[in-house]
Amino acid sequence: MKKLAIAALVTAATALPALAQHMKLEDQVKYRRAAYDLLGLNFGSLSAMAQDKKPFDKEEAQSNADFAAMLATVPRHFFGEGTDKNTKAKPEIWTHRADFDAKMDKMVGEAQKLPAAVRSGDMAAFRKQVADVGHACKSCHDDFRAK
Amino acid sequence: MNVTARIRVWDLPTRIFHWSLAGLVAFSFVTGKIGDPWMSWHLRSGYGILTLLAFRIAWGFAGGRTARFSHFLRGPRIALEYAREALSGRYHPFAGHNPLGGWMVVVMLAALLVQACTGLFADDEIATQGPLAVKVSNAFVSRMSAWHSFNEWLVVGLATVHVAAIALYRWKLRARLAGPMVHGWVPVPPGENWPQPAMGHTGLALALLAFAAAMAYVLVVVYPAT
Ligand code: HEC
Ligand code: HEM
Repeated sequence: MKKLAIAALVTAATALPALAQHMKLEDQVKYRRAAYDLLGLNFGSLSAMAQDKKPFDKEEAQSNADFAAMLATVPRHFFGEGTDKNTKAKPEIWTHRADFDAKMDKMVGEAQKLPAAVRSGDMAAFRKQVADVGHACKSCHDDFRAK
Repeated sequence: MNVTARIRVWDLPTRIFHWSLAGLVAFSFVTGKIGDPWMSWHLRSGYGILTLLAFRIAWGFAGGRTARFSHFLRGPRIALEYAREALSGRYHPFAGHNPLGGWMVVVMLAALLVQACTGLFADDEIATQGPLAVKVSNAFVSRMSAWHSFNEWLVVGLATVHVAAIALYRWKLRARLAGPMVHGWVPVPPGENWPQPAMGHTGLALALLAFAAAMAYVLVVVYPAT
C-alpha cells in the first residue's frame, strides 16, 4: 500500500514541471502549500521522534522519511513568475532566484538523506539528519517566507 | 564615614529573579535563532520565563518595599522631570528604582509577557508548535507567530536600552547600578537619610514561585492534554 502510494507520488512528481506550466497561478500557490503541509506533517513526526517527544517507531519513521524525501522535491515546481499574490511567499524569491533555488536544493538534498538515516538504525545519525533538514527549512523561511 | 552608611535596596528574591530572567531571555533568543534541535529547550526556557513573570507580578504587590509597583511607579511628570535632570548631568540617586527606571521595569515585563504568551500559540511551520496552538484556529496561530517574531525585536531593543542606560549611569553619572543587583547593597549618599527599606520574605517568595510554576504547568502541560 505504502509502496503504491510512493510509486504514485514518484510518477506525479516527475510529471510536475509539465503540469505546472499550464496551471492557473493561484493553483500553483495552492499546490505548493499543500506539498509543504504534507512535508511538514511527515517531517514533524520525525522531529518529534528525534526529540523523544514520541517513541521512535522504525516503521513509521521509515514511512515518514520516504514521504518527506519525495515531497521535498514537489514545491519547487510551483513557484512560477506571478505567483506572489495571496501567499506568504516573499517577492524576493523572484528577485533573488539563484539564492532561493540554492536553498531549495540544499533542503531537497538533506531531506533525501532521511530514509538512509532511519534505515541505518543509528539514532545519533538520525537526530543529526533531522536537525540538518530543520536548518535547511528555517534558512529559507527566514529569508523568503513572510511572517 | 561610619560603617553603617549603606543600605540593602534589593532583597534576595528580586536579585535572583533578575539574573534568572536575564539568563533565560538570552538563552531563549539564542535557541530561537538556532532552531532545531534546540527548539524544545526554547520552549522549556519560555515556560521558565512565564513562571518568573507571574512570580514578579505577584512580588510587585507582596515583595520587599523597593520591588513593589506602588513604590516605583510615579506620575509621568516626575519621570520627565527626572529625565531632564539626568540628561543635564545632575544626578539625584534613589534608594530603589528611579522614576524613569520604574517605568522601564513595567515596559520590559509587559514586552516579555507578550513574547511568552504569543509563543504559547506560535507555530514555526517546521516542527515546533507552542503547547496551546492545538487549541485555537490556524488564523490565530499565524497571527501569534507573526507577533512572536516582531515582538522579539522589541524585547531585544528594550534589553539594549536597559544595558546602555546602566553603562551611561556608570560612565556619565558615576553611579554603579549593576553591582547592587548582585549583592543588594548601595552606599547612602552624604547628607541623605535613607532608612533601610523593608525586604521581602524569602519564604513567601518561594511559595509564590511554586504557585506560579504550578499555574504554568497547568497552562502548558495539563490544559493542552485535555
Ligand atoms: C527554498 C525555500 C524553502 C524551503 C527550503 C522550505 N520552505 Fe517551507 N515555505 C517556503 C515558502 C516560500 C512558503 C510560503 C508558501 C506560500 O505561502 O505560498 C513556505 C511554506 C511552508 C509551510 C506552510 C504551507 C501553508 O499551508 O501555508 C509549511 C508547513 C512549510 N513551508 C514547511 C517546510 C518544511 C517542513 C521544510 C523543510 C523540510 C520547508 N518548508 C522548507 C519556502 C521554503
Ligand atoms: C520570552 C522570551 C522569548 C524569546 C526572547 C523568544 C524568542 C524567539 C526567537 C528569537 C524565535 C525565532 C523566530 C525567528 O526566527 O525570527 C522564536 C521562535 C519561537 N518561539 Fe519563542 N521566545 C520567547 C518565548 C517563547 C515561549 C514562552 C514560547 C512557547 C512556549 C515560544 C515558542 C516559540 C515558537 C513555537 C517559535 C517558532 C515560531 C516562529 O518561528 O514563528 N517562545 N522565539
